[in-house]
Amino acid sequence: MILDLERFQAQERPRWTRLESLLAQLDSRPDRLLRPAEAEQLQELYAQTASDLNRVTHGSLAPELRQYLERLVARAYGELYYARPTRSELWQPRGWLRIFTAFPEAFRRQSRYFALAVLVTFLGCALGGLAVRYDPASVDVLLPADYLRNPGLRVRQEEKGQNRRLDSAQEEAAFSGELITHNIEVSLLTAGLGVTFGIGTALLLFENGLLLGAVAVRYTQQGFGLFVTAWLLPHGAFEIPSILIAGQAGFYLARLLLRRREDRYVRESMREWLLLIAGLAMMLVWAGLMEAFFSQHHAPVLAYGFKVAVGAAELVLLTVYLLLIGRRETAAVPSATIAVGSK
Amino acid sequence: MKDLETKRLPTSTELTIATPEGVLFRLPLAGPASRLYAMLVDTAIVLAGLNGLGYLVYLIFAKVPGFGAMTITLLEFAIGFAYGALLEGFWNGQTVGKRLFHLRVTDESGLPLRIEQAWVRNLMRVVDALPLAYLVGGASVLSSPVMQRFGDRVAGTLVVREAPLAAPYEEASNQQKYNSFTEYPAIAIRLRRAATPDLAGLIQDALRRRNELAPYARREIYREVAAYLQAEIARFPDELVEMLSDEQYLNNAIDVLFRDQRLSRVQTCVTELVK
Repeated sequence: MILDLERFQAQERPRWTRLESLLAQLDSRPDRLLRPAEAEQLQELYAQTASDLNRVTHGSLAPELRQYLERLVARAYGELYYARPTRSELWQPRGWLRIFTAFPEAFRRQSRYFALAVLVTFLGCALGGLAVRYDPASVDVLLPADYLRNPGLRVRQEEKGQNRRLDSAQEEAAFSGELITHNIEVSLLTAGLGVTFGIGTALLLFENGLLLGAVAVRYTQQGFGLFVTAWLLPHGAFEIPSILIAGQAGFYLARLLLRRREDRYVRESMREWLLLIAGLAMMLVWAGLMEAFFSQHHAPVLAYGFKVAVGAAELVLLTVYLLLIGRRETAAVPSATIAVGSK
Repeated sequence: MKDLETKRLPTSTELTIATPEGVLFRLPLAGPASRLYAMLVDTAIVLAGLNGLGYLVYLIFAKVPGFGAMTITLLEFAIGFAYGALLEGFWNGQTVGKRLFHLRVTDESGLPLRIEQAWVRNLMRVVDALPLAYLVGGASVLSSPVMQRFGDRVAGTLVVREAPLAAPYEEASNQQKYNSFTEYPAIAIRLRRAATPDLAGLIQDALRRRNELAPYARREIYREVAAYLQAEIARFPDELVEMLSDEQYLNNAIDVLFRDQRLSRVQTCVTELVK
């Protein structure tokens, strides 16, 4: 087709300008909602501009004009095909509370990835425990030097309150802030490393389990089983499940990325992944507070039996929350729709 | 020419989107450098904001500095992620830094990104920032055909370049008052009939790019094209051609090819001649 650029531009420019101003108008509007008449106009201008674009796409004719039209078409396309959430849809404080039920629902929907995370951690635990049990020399390799090699010394120091960095509630508070952010960051990393097809996630979980198993066996061997339980359980009851949930999110992500692109359901999956992250972040806030304010107090101040009981109660509450809160039948519905959708 | 075009591979700096109506348009992708600059600006803004907030918290928690420290630590952490996620989510894919450097985050399909996607790609910074200075993310961008870091791959997003929207200014072309070709209507009509659209486009392009070409190249190209037209398409009388420069020759030719009004004048001449 022979195209006289100058005439073409002179003829069509008014339309482009109208489309441009319509888009600018939309941009300046806070709710970005189209009135019906405008929607019709947008559709029409979009179609016309798109066909104008098709006419200049050929060859190397007028690159700036082509770029300009491409940008116009791209923006109009975005407005036409994407329903922006309105302000009233976003501002739903009550809806935000739904996260407390949506999280356990997502957790149950993806429970097989949780099982996988538990399995990997358990393998690490078993290896760590067995290594320490049958090869005491491995302690040097597995455990940080000053920290956990000599439980007797450590326990005495802890109980006497020597070695305590946290003399006051002030320092405990500052410590809890650090714990919370550090733990959430590690969890995010565990969940994000799903992009390594789950290998990174598995390694982190395994290492975590390894340490846990080694410490548990080491302390129990030397007769400090109760101490270490009382020391770790009050915050561990939330911290360990949350790192497992991070692993769950990581494996979920890995599975998602292994799917074919068209089967990914990115929108739903992103929501699911975010729900798991949000849930574990809330759990870690609690765990951080417990670790700083509660776990670090030992026998004369807080009886070990009491600490263990508190930890056990937390664990029961968490289990009930994760298994029972929210709609029960959620497990069946989405997988069914996905099965139908993928056909 | 057709073949060449279909065979041309997509370059790494743009992505072609096909809409459901069959419209094709290209999105220019943002390279790592401009993204880095935008990130530095954003980091500076976040740090400045945090400093201000820190002072405020310090005043509020003067009596309980420990809790103040805790608040700051948590705020710093939350804002680090929320700054990008909220701005990109609610400001159509732009943070302040991205706006400054004309970048925008969009969905892979060219649509605006969703709020969930904004959160995912910002939370995934934890992975992309490994082991230091965003090495993992940078490697991912360089190895990705559409310049995605891992956060973008997971969230299904792209960072595109977005120059300000402005219609190109067409310089008033050298429309001459008088076209000597119209004195030879029969030859002009032959030129119109025999010139293919590709040839017409070629001439138009050669003239439009007048100022982009080096003088000797321009002379050479115009000479070749004019000679080709004269030899193969429509032969104007030598005494006319000798008076015209090659550029003038091409201007006349393009005038004949495109100007409808003049064509109608030519046609009326033709019809008069026939009568």
